[in-house]
Amino acid sequence: MAEKPGSAISRREFARRAALASAIGSAVVSIGPTGAVGAAIAATARQPSESANQAPIAPSVAAAQAQLPANMPRLSPESQAEADARFQAILAQYGARFSEEQKTDLHRLCILAQPPLDRLRAYPVQNGDGTALYLKPLFEREKKPKPPSTSQPGAAKPSAAVPAAASGTAKKP
Amino acid sequence: MPTEELFYLPITELAKRIETKQLSPVELTQLYLKRSEKFGQRLNAYARLTPEIALAQAQAAEKDIRRGHYRGPLHGIPYAAKDLLAVKGLPTTWGAKPYANQVFDNDATVIEHLNRAGAVLLGKASMIELAGGMNYRFASASLQGEAKNPWDTSCWTCGSSSGSGAIVAAGLAAFAIGTETWGSIICPSAFCGISGLRPTYGRVSRYGAMALAPSMDKIGPMARSTEDCARIFAVLAGHDPKDHGTLAVDKAAFTYSPSMELKTRSLTVGWLTNAWKTMDPAVAKIADATEKTLRKTFPVVHHVALPQGPWDDAGNVIMGIEGAASFRGLIGSGQVSELADPLGQINGYVNERISGADYMQASRVREILQKKMADLFDSFDVLATVSQPLPATPMDFNLETGLSFPDPLGAIGNLCGLPALSVPCGFTEKHLPVGLQFVARAGDDFGVILAGRTFQSHTDWHRRHPRLA
Repeated sequence: MAEKPGSAISRREFARRAALASAIGSAVVSIGPTGAVGAAIAATARQPSESANQAPIAPSVAAAQAQLPANMPRLSPESQAEADARFQAILAQYGARFSEEQKTDLHRLCILAQPPLDRLRAYPVQNGDGTALYLKPLFEREKKPKPPSTSQPGAAKPSAAVPAAASGTAKKP
Repeated sequence: MPTEELFYLPITELAKRIETKQLSPVELTQLYLKRSEKFGQRLNAYARLTPEIALAQAQAAEKDIRRGHYRGPLHGIPYAAKDLLAVKGLPTTWGAKPYANQVFDNDATVIEHLNRAGAVLLGKASMIELAGGMNYRFASASLQGEAKNPWDTSCWTCGSSSGSGAIVAAGLAAFAIGTETWGSIICPSAFCGISGLRPTYGRVSRYGAMALAPSMDKIGPMARSTEDCARIFAVLAGHDPKDHGTLAVDKAAFTYSPSMELKTRSLTVGWLTNAWKTMDPAVAKIADATEKTLRKTFPVVHHVALPQGPWDDAGNVIMGIEGAASFRGLIGSGQVSELADPLGQINGYVNERISGADYMQASRVREILQKKMADLFDSFDVLATVSQPLPATPMDFNLETGLSFPDPLGAIGNLCGLPALSVPCGFTEKHLPVGLQFVARAGDDFGVILAGRTFQSHTDWHRRHPRLA
């Protein structure tokens, strides 16, 4: 359906902004802002709307949006809002880590991640369809010998575990 | 002075000479080490050479063989292992700067198997950082720099088993071990003109290997011929209680002898009509010729289409979320910014945001797909198409845009854990190799091996090798 001429904001844009504002709010509440960018987002989210049909849009999203290449996929308002919210959630948690160029690239990647998710979600599956996830009970594991009693007073504590990535035993993938 | 041909002899021939004491494992190791020192660095093929280990293992092999204790076709044979496999006491970098000084105090299970078979570790092969787990835009996404294709050093080897591909193609070792989560054995084998086997998921233990996407990671051989791959696979395969993903003893083990092929079935081949949306014209020409060869070689070849569905999307979701989980500490700490590739530095943050519901949706789609493929394999023994729709790409190629075309067969094969084999099937006018891929039902690794052996008994593409200056 065509948009009414003369509207201050299109219905599509309204839906997008409303969903985005809601997502930003929940991201900020659940994750909590970290760093300067996160704080800025939190402040933006708390500001009252200028009018009923103009939901706030985070300046970082708007700035990054302006830099996006022209050939980005066209998303539905809901998908666009989800992609933008994903971007905002990353900025809220890790924003201080990124350069402006990286932020633009991240926003692009968040948008590019959306069409595959939309296609995947559209594939018909039933409640009873199995998942390719199986727990294989640990039958083959032999009992470890019991460690000697360490209940004596003053017994030494075991040394702290060393992360496998730094040294020690290579873990099973 | 040995002729160049010695470096390109298949394991089957080297083993014959070693067993009959015409060829000394120590001399062979020294020759390969010298060649690897000369060309390895030029090609960025190795993360490191291990001459002390190699010479000690070669001397032990020689002593054993002199005493009549010949262990089998890998005894005294030099190889390289991708640098995501733990070797006790040696740095295992996973191709990435944050792990440059990582050392394990145990061997990966595949390294133990190769030690028992008497193989000789020449070095650790270079690789794409974290096996591409954080994604990458350029061939330079590696602690060791971009791996150069021995057929044309201005071109890439493909990844993530990039060093393994370069080493085998350049004759720097008799074989190499690669790994694949999605494309990392098949693509380098195709770009480098070698034979590479991606085994059924769960036949080879991944204990001691870097985890990327644990429900998709696999380890396999890259070598000069299908028969060589089969012999290496027979050593690697087997149940391992230390890797919960391995199959039961009777399903994981693999035995091979050429005589097995004489009493087996004749294969029904499905030539795929929808594996690639577009194909480079040079590759398309070779694909046509290859289909004709298959029709002359196999009794039944029919056209067949892969089932349609969001397989690429499901594969990307599963690989993305499992990869983000595997490297959560790296992402959370911000050390991911130390990766070489600009895309690798940030993509993990996006994958971390994929929801659990989407992961479960992908897992359901995966199970539906498994059934569809099992149905398809009721009519065909193997499916075949070219391994990649283009030859080796230039070094500065943007892989994010240039190699991001749909790959339904790669997605299907890796989501369902199906075995696949890439063998050379021709060369472009620019002398770049093109690969032919066979894929079979889960567990039918022998099917792809039989198909590859049959194809290679009628062609000689696998016997060609580059001339290194």
